[in-house]
Amino acid sequence: MAVYLLKRLLGLLPTLLIVAVLVFAFVHLLPGDPARLAAGVDAGPETVELVRRDLGLDLPLPQQFVRFFSHALQGDFGLSIRSKRPVSTEIAERFGPTFFLTIAAMGWSVLLGLVLGVASAVWRNRWPDRLGMTFAISGISFPSFALGMVLMQLFSVQLGWLPTVGADTWKHYILPSLTLGAGVAAVMARFTRSSFIDILKEDYVRTARAKGLGELPVVFKHGLRNALIPVVTMMGLQFGFLLGGSIVVEVVFNWPGMGRLLVDAVEMRDYPLIQALVLLFSLEFILINLLVDVLYAVINPTIRFQ
Amino acid sequence: MTSHHRSALSRIAVALAVSGTALAAHAAKDITVAVASTFTTTDPYDANDTLSQAVAKSFYQGLYGFDKDMKMVPVLADSYTASKDGLVYTVKLKSGIKFHDNTPFNAEAVKATFDRVTNPDNKLKRYNLYKNIAKTEAVDATTVRFTLKEPFSPFINTLAHPSGVIISPAALAQYGSKGIAQHPVGTGPFKFVEWKATDYLKVEKFDGYWKKGWPKVDSITWRPVVDNNTRAAVMQTNEAHFAFPVPPEAVETLSKKPSLEITASPSIIQRYLSMNTQQKPFDNPKVREAINYAINKDALIKVAFSGYAIPAEGVLPHGVEYAAKLGPWPYDPAKARALLKEAGYPNGFETTLWSAYNHTTAQKVIQFVQQQLAQVGIKLQVQALEAGQRVERVESAQDPATAPVRMYYVGWSSSTGEADWAMRPLLASESFPPKLFNTAYYKNEVVDSAIAKSLVTTDKAEKARLYTDAQKQIWKDAPWAFLVTERLVSVRAKNLSGFYVIPDGSFNFDDVELK
Repeated sequence: MAVYLLKRLLGLLPTLLIVAVLVFAFVHLLPGDPARLAAGVDAGPETVELVRRDLGLDLPLPQQFVRFFSHALQGDFGLSIRSKRPVSTEIAERFGPTFFLTIAAMGWSVLLGLVLGVASAVWRNRWPDRLGMTFAISGISFPSFALGMVLMQLFSVQLGWLPTVGADTWKHYILPSLTLGAGVAAVMARFTRSSFIDILKEDYVRTARAKGLGELPVVFKHGLRNALIPVVTMMGLQFGFLLGGSIVVEVVFNWPGMGRLLVDAVEMRDYPLIQALVLLFSLEFILINLLVDVLYAVINPTIRFQ
Repeated sequence: MTSHHRSALSRIAVALAVSGTALAAHAAKDITVAVASTFTTTDPYDANDTLSQAVAKSFYQGLYGFDKDMKMVPVLADSYTASKDGLVYTVKLKSGIKFHDNTPFNAEAVKATFDRVTNPDNKLKRYNLYKNIAKTEAVDATTVRFTLKEPFSPFINTLAHPSGVIISPAALAQYGSKGIAQHPVGTGPFKFVEWKATDYLKVEKFDGYWKKGWPKVDSITWRPVVDNNTRAAVMQTNEAHFAFPVPPEAVETLSKKPSLEITASPSIIQRYLSMNTQQKPFDNPKVREAINYAINKDALIKVAFSGYAIPAEGVLPHGVEYAAKLGPWPYDPAKARALLKEAGYPNGFETTLWSAYNHTTAQKVIQFVQQQLAQVGIKLQVQALEAGQRVERVESAQDPATAPVRMYYVGWSSSTGEADWAMRPLLASESFPPKLFNTAYYKNEVVDSAIAKSLVTTDKAEKARLYTDAQKQIWKDAPWAFLVTERLVSVRAKNLSGFYVIPDGSFNFDDVELK
């Protein structure tokens, strides 16, 4: 297992290298001159040139790449064009709020999704199924932008129970995590349901029932573990997406997260920040994938690492 | 109940009452201001957005500044004299003022500040504004002498510009030209506490502030709340005391709450359509006039600005120094059609209209204009440009003859509050892109010479005459369709006073108080 993990972690390096090259190329293909954008509306050509030199954008592209790459290897991603603060600081400040919000949203939505999914599969085409799937369809279809505003209007403005903006106390996490998790819960419920229905048709479930096991052990001992494999895969994917930050939720609740950081960075053609963020997102996905693979083995010991 | 009990109770009541008043007297007066976007920096010399500079006024002050009506007033300066040739400005400073780090404010501090920005090695974004200063000298502790490279009559306005603040020389030496952005130290009423990127920027009362008895609040938290609805919501939940801008659609809900008050104040933010005068059909002044006649500005204001704007009354909006009232341009589609016919386009023509912004208001404006011009036979393809596209297609076009821009919806506010910076970057022939923003590629001898002459004239009456002539010429030539001047909608809690949005969209909070 340790050898397997080590191998996988080493395999990470070439992937990140390729991502770095691609990102660098794509970022410089974006239309628009970052120096002109950074210098602002009042600036004359001389100022634009000053800013260009300040940002190191006057160097030839290959040289810029070498500079970016050698610095990145030492963990230095440069200064943000927009704020002139180190990219690492900018990202570190936003990572916490996004990470904890992701955990909060994933926590309740995965649990609820699993319960709804299992209930819907077990009582298929009866009222728990209908209810669960009604919820799931609404969760997917209701735009999170609207959901966030409705929740805020209700709980903050009308009732005054919860704060609107900021990320300081646990109370601040409630509304954004509800908004963010609704879609995930819905997806998880649909996924669990369909995976579970397939499992309940398997021979070993019939055998288990035939040998006289009660419905509870059949569902939870034999069914759930096997049904979890695709669900965990989906969970990993959703987790990765949420870690990238959700621009919609961050705008509505003024959440100091990664989504807005990326959008602002693209808007301002903040090359160093875009590059670092995309690299980070790739790294997150790779690590989550690895974690999901390890979870497979925990859930189903018949899966072996090669 | 025994008398013993009663006296004990009354003692408690008295104690409570006393502690209550004591609490009230010491209650922290913390105010929160919700603004529309994140700040870019705390260093006004390296900022190009109004908001960052407005916020920096909590801890920094300039020699001159603007009051709430955008009248120029001395702040750290006392008075000034200009030499006859317009090259030397001698500024007398107030004395007895200290920076937050206890460094005394004097002529040396002024010199250190301006030496920093005029040195191109420091690569500051506001270098442009101050590069005309040849040298800054400290004559004595309270006298500074600026010598300019060439005469520049709005020089004092440049000093009043929100970027022209005085930084503590000790802090500048300690943190360096780059580091000062993380550790701002000025003479302002508030000290910098902390800045958490998108979350908030907090400043607290400076006890050694030179205006005795001020500031009357303990702290200000500047909170960027980007979403329009959310910004309205934080006012409804009392989480903020002031919010700007207020989205027009939220005005009705907010005005229903008795503890809030909505204000629409005048601005110098003008919106116009520039027409590329080097290209057919816009090389013909009749076509440009026709377009001005074809747009119903009152309807535009209702549709796109929810009523919070006034039709443009001239080339420069009222409130900019030396602005002349020449309009508004009447709405007359019949005349527009006649003019198009005279110009040789009886059936209209096809062209493109770009917008410099892609927010909803701009989208509404270009769609409305598209519909209005269709009435007189002009077919427009409209496109709202994203910032990068705008820079690429409009601001970086190298050759005026092949510049792709035709009609272009954009806006401007003169950050010095003066006619020069409202006209020269937009309408002088030296300002064609990529240099500055004359997107109409407008070139006129009278205008060019008036702008150039005004710069070297210190006589106010003469300047007024020159600028009025130039504006009349521009209005006649109509390189733009003159659209509207915006009004600025803000909302405040009624217990907050002395907090204003000033006409350039910045803030004035010299007299802020919380009751």
